[in-house]
Amino acid sequence: MQRRAFIKSGCVLALATGCGVVLSSVSGCSPGIIYKTGIIENKIAVPLTLFSNGKLQIIRPAGMQFDIALRKEDDTTYSSFLMRCTHAENQLLSTGTGFTCALHGSVFNADGSVTKGPAEYPLKKYRTEVIEENIIIHLN
Amino acid sequence: MFKSLITTVILICFIQDTASAQQNQSLPIDSSRTQFSSILGRTTFGGYGNAFYSRDNKNEYASVNLERFVLLVTHKFNNKITLFSELEVEDAKVEGGKEGGEIALEQFYLKFDLNPSTYLVAGLFIPRIGILSEDHLPTQIFGNERNQVETKVLPATWREIGAGIYGKLNRLPISFSACIVNGLNSENFEHGTGIREGRAEGRTASANNLAIQGSVQYYKGNFKAQISGYYGGTVGLVPREADSLQLTSGAFGTPVMITEANIQYFSKGFSGKILGAMISIPEASDINRAYANNTPETETGGYIEVAYNFFANNVKLKSKALHAFVRYETLNLNSNIPGNGIIDHTLDQQHIVTGINYLPNPNVVVKMDVRFQHTGNQNPDLLINPSPTAPKYYTDNSFFNLGIGVAF
Repeated sequence: MQRRAFIKSGCVLALATGCGVVLSSVSGCSPGIIYKTGIIENKIAVPLTLFSNGKLQIIRPAGMQFDIALRKEDDTTYSSFLMRCTHAENQLLSTGTGFTCALHGSVFNADGSVTKGPAEYPLKKYRTEVIEENIIIHLN
Repeated sequence: MFKSLITTVILICFIQDTASAQQNQSLPIDSSRTQFSSILGRTTFGGYGNAFYSRDNKNEYASVNLERFVLLVTHKFNNKITLFSELEVEDAKVEGGKEGGEIALEQFYLKFDLNPSTYLVAGLFIPRIGILSEDHLPTQIFGNERNQVETKVLPATWREIGAGIYGKLNRLPISFSACIVNGLNSENFEHGTGIREGRAEGRTASANNLAIQGSVQYYKGNFKAQISGYYGGTVGLVPREADSLQLTSGAFGTPVMITEANIQYFSKGFSGKILGAMISIPEASDINRAYANNTPETETGGYIEVAYNFFANNVKLKSKALHAFVRYETLNLNSNIPGNGIIDHTLDQQHIVTGINYLPNPNVVVKMDVRFQHTGNQNPDLLINPSPTAPKYYTDNSFFNLGIGVAF
């Protein structure tokens, strides 16, 4: 009987999570599909068209240990951050409103500043510029 | 030996601080640096700890304790392989032949990065169950004590040896984990402590019985939801010994099953958490028959917590925080007992905790809280040769706590 109750409650929770997944798929607030690209002369080119449905894009440059978050600001400029926790150099997870580290629980705002420690320093920021139909991220 | 180790650590920290200060003078803002770009290059240090005064109001007893200090050491072998370790000292000191205090490795594992969003771990690590498994730094939790549900039902910072995979999906805001670790030992279960004493925590665990654990986290705006599960055997005996005790052995014999789910919300200084957990031990009667440790069939617990940071929307005070919080917890370590078990109503508990966390710096906290506790009555059948000097048991009690905590 206990085993049955356990399975039943587990199924209910799984169903609830499944509903959340469906809801998220119709949301425009979440980061889109990871955009994989290369690095040429320490620069990354990202098509502007990736921002037609959202304000945040995760970039995965070939050969880099960490992803880069590219965010469209209200004034049509773009900000980019290295998704590396400044506490213990762990990968960060984009939450849509910021970034979180699963290792010690540090949280960063969408602008890369720390909102919850133990991290003390903001995320590494890269300079960006728009050239024709691309956003250029300067890695140096 | 230990003294010289501490001296060395202090010296390294001092040199690191000096180097950092020098860097700060020449580079006022260097957002590219990480916290522990240490003089040792690929080795980094961190830590956390807390101490507090606690008063049991009904029994008129007060104590002070340096509850824990944890030293984090990370070493990056290359861009793909990193060692994470956490060495913990509990209750300030450990003395041979005396009770109290503990020195333990809380974590010691290798992390192998497969790509920027997926990695493998192997070693002693804390599987993702509950909220405290990842957020247990004193600066991150409200109140001087860790919450009761994730201490008594889900053992906080429960680590075991094994291997796992952690990652996030590319198309959805979902992260996941799955791992296989050594199982619990039901012989060590103790009445009133749930499954806590059955953990091996890295010390000579039986690998005859195993456990699988997994979690899914989902992010939606300011919400974070998680569901996690655990299924593992508790009898690591060889078949001959298990048969003699009429226990089911093998990888998943005499299992423990855990289901947990939680939702967290953070926005503009407001935060809320709700968590529910259930532990099921369907063959508890067999464990009781073999070991007479009054193992329950079911344990349940849940809590809800809300908090508000009064400084969150004040530009001048943004580097500080003043949180007021209240938390309600309910748990029962013997929700269901087998036919050969004895009910203990003191394990059916409710707690209300309220207080403040003041952070003059994001990684320094001063805490004050009061915990109100209500339990059921003692069962006389469980009072065997009670001591005449034992303190009276109160079903309603309150505790005042005042302490400090740090993380770095």
